[in-house]
Amino acid sequence: MKASQEFTVAPGDLLPGRWFDGRSSQARPVLVGLQPTPRGPSLLLHPLAPPGEAPTVLRHAQVGWPETWSAQRPPPRVVVDLREHGSLEVDAVSEWQAALAAAGARPGLAQHMQTRWSVLLAVLLAAAIGLLLFYRYGTPWAATQLTRWVPMGWETAMADQGLQEMDDGLLKPSKLAPERQAQLRARFDALAQQIPPALHRYTHYAPQWTLEFRAGMGANAFALPGGRVVMTDGLVQAAARQGLGDEALVGVLAHEIGHVVHRHTTRMVVEQGVLQMGLGLALGDVSGILSTGSALLTGLHYRRSHEREADCFALGLMRHAALPTAPMGTLLLAIARDEDEDDKKQEKDGARSAPPGKHGSPEAAHPIWSLLSSHPDTVERASALQQGQAPHCPQ
Amino acid sequence: MDQRNSSSSTPANAPSFASTMIDAHPLAFTGSGGEYFRVWIVNVLLSIVTLGLYTPWARRRTAQYFYGHTQVAGSPLEFTAPQGKMVKGFVLLVLITLAYNIAANTGQDLAVALFLLAGAVLAPFIWASAMRFRLSATRWRGLRLQFAATWREVYAASWPVFALALVWFGVFLGLQVVTPEAVLNEETGRKMPQITATMVALVALGLVLSVLCFIRLEFNYSSLLVLRSRLGQEPGRWKPVYLDFVRIWGATALVFLLSVVALSALIGLVVGSGWMSLGRSPQLGMWLFVLIALAFVGGLLALFLASAPARAYREARMFQLLWDNIGVSQVARFKCDLGTGGYVWLRIRNLLLTLLTLGLYRPFARVSEYRMKTESVTLHVKGGVDQVAGTLVRQQDGGLGDALADAAGLDLIG
Repeated sequence: MKASQEFTVAPGDLLPGRWFDGRSSQARPVLVGLQPTPRGPSLLLHPLAPPGEAPTVLRHAQVGWPETWSAQRPPPRVVVDLREHGSLEVDAVSEWQAALAAAGARPGLAQHMQTRWSVLLAVLLAAAIGLLLFYRYGTPWAATQLTRWVPMGWETAMADQGLQEMDDGLLKPSKLAPERQAQLRARFDALAQQIPPALHRYTHYAPQWTLEFRAGMGANAFALPGGRVVMTDGLVQAAARQGLGDEALVGVLAHEIGHVVHRHTTRMVVEQGVLQMGLGLALGDVSGILSTGSALLTGLHYRRSHEREADCFALGLMRHAALPTAPMGTLLLAIARDEDEDDKKQEKDGARSAPPGKHGSPEAAHPIWSLLSSHPDTVERASALQQGQAPHCPQ
Repeated sequence: MDQRNSSSSTPANAPSFASTMIDAHPLAFTGSGGEYFRVWIVNVLLSIVTLGLYTPWARRRTAQYFYGHTQVAGSPLEFTAPQGKMVKGFVLLVLITLAYNIAANTGQDLAVALFLLAGAVLAPFIWASAMRFRLSATRWRGLRLQFAATWREVYAASWPVFALALVWFGVFLGLQVVTPEAVLNEETGRKMPQITATMVALVALGLVLSVLCFIRLEFNYSSLLVLRSRLGQEPGRWKPVYLDFVRIWGATALVFLLSVVALSALIGLVVGSGWMSLGRSPQLGMWLFVLIALAFVGGLLALFLASAPARAYREARMFQLLWDNIGVSQVARFKCDLGTGGYVWLRIRNLLLTLLTLGLYRPFARVSEYRMKTESVTLHVKGGVDQVAGTLVRQQDGGLGDALADAAGLDLIG
């Protein structure tokens, strides 16, 4: 090698070091040289004893290059990982870093962020924007796509299990007269048959439409994946109390059909999985409060957007069936007013409910509280339904 | 002793530890909280940008920062785990977690049960493979540490787990024998089971035995880890006995009880005075609702806070016990002068500051705790640090075990 020439020609490039070759804890004094190569600096070790021994050359990829942690404060010494050749200690850390830079070392992004505030701030900004975009648009989109691959069997199994759990707990058999049930069921079946192709979200998705009645959980209706919709006696009674026709209840059913057609429950399962894992990994090291808090808030945002989507579906379907949506809006407001007076009922996990504005009063809610709500603002929804169109719905 | 390097300057026929030159080398940590904050924030940001996929790189950077700034007898430690293996382990972990979540969310109970059973059976294997990976990734003066326990030894050391199962099997069997006939309650018309003193005593005995089993498990694993670790050709030395561990756990329980009493007294004082002022407030109903919600969150937080001194106390005492009583064959001994009170106070202060800053103080807390522990240890070496002969140790497989152990909370940086 021309190592001896190097030694005489450019002595400034050589730094003293201690080489531990892994065979014992004893150090061999060496002089360390760095040479630029196209792939990055290579490392030369010139043993000082015994004299005349050939230098060892290690290619760039054969060395684990230590990261520079601080631009101002070098540590007392650095250790260079020589893999199977052992390790190398260098005391002249600043000189080592300068020599590395001179030999054309290209540090990675992490080290740039580590040593330069400007790079750190730029990545901070990019991360904030990226996080927002991903969780706002990316996750819902991915969940929508992934849901295509979820088989119908899983959805019906999930629905059976969910309804069974609710039947054991919150729900009781319906006390509604069988004739009334049959009447509403006929409207429901007619509605489900009328869904225009334009409103189908998943082309090959063919749910088994059934309407069931239960008592309990106040005035409520919810959709289970696979096509089962449950309506409570309380909802039918609330419509009767307000003197509203069946159009109000049909509107609610259209909203629930929207949840099924858009496969919201399945999408929510996927979204929750991405959220909990992604945010847990990203923010879990900062604090559990921060990561669960943001997962919770984002999850609620997804739920609100699902509700809006179902509302838009209901508007579209009712328009197609030439039915008014205004009675549904009136029913929504009436239930919200009733609920505000009564105790607020909790809604069961996994199932979703249409009409009630669960949280807060029917008056316009404060923006902070609307972040904590699973449903969009009731007044906004009701007025959109009463006008028969909403600004956020695709035309 | 016969394995000493012949080029060592120490007399090779030294008769005993005490009679040769012994050098004391206090361990030093040369990192700083501000610097580690940079390391940490870079990791957090890159983890966010990559949706968490940066985790294995982040773990390696963290380990390299702490290892590289820990000076043992003037030479820094090195963390040399190959990045590729850490990434592979992490990806496998993510896939397993995903599969488990899908199984759990879609109600496939058999698959979930199989997952849990496999996890329980493989736990000792996973622990040992993580230790293998981590120790062989640790290098000092060019020598790799090595965890040389066989799988048989690892499973033999896990006997308290099986003893635990036996204890509860016995308790339930015993309960069936001593339970008296249920008598009919006249008022409710239901059969009410009776609880006798013998039954309570039996369950209490079961609980005490379970705690003893847990402590035994911790003791077995710690001693196995030290005794089967090697630096070059020198095996680890281990002096603590089981009773030392039991004593520390007993004292920890006492500290926990004391902090619960102190915290409840404090909460009682605050809530009591708050209640008085609420009594005069006209909007009692709404406040009551807020109060109940607060009480639930506060209860969890209180339990976390009340256990903090006990957790810190246990950690400090355990650290002292271990680092005062282990060594490397006849070559080296460790001595530790960690102050228990000082460490507990530091941990409480760090916990409060971390809560107040929503986690941003965490890197500073971590550095200050690591520094206090590291710098309390002194290494006493007989006959110079350059005498240990190396063996051919390859970096071990076990990236998955390492990632799993990390996910289970067994941190790389202790």
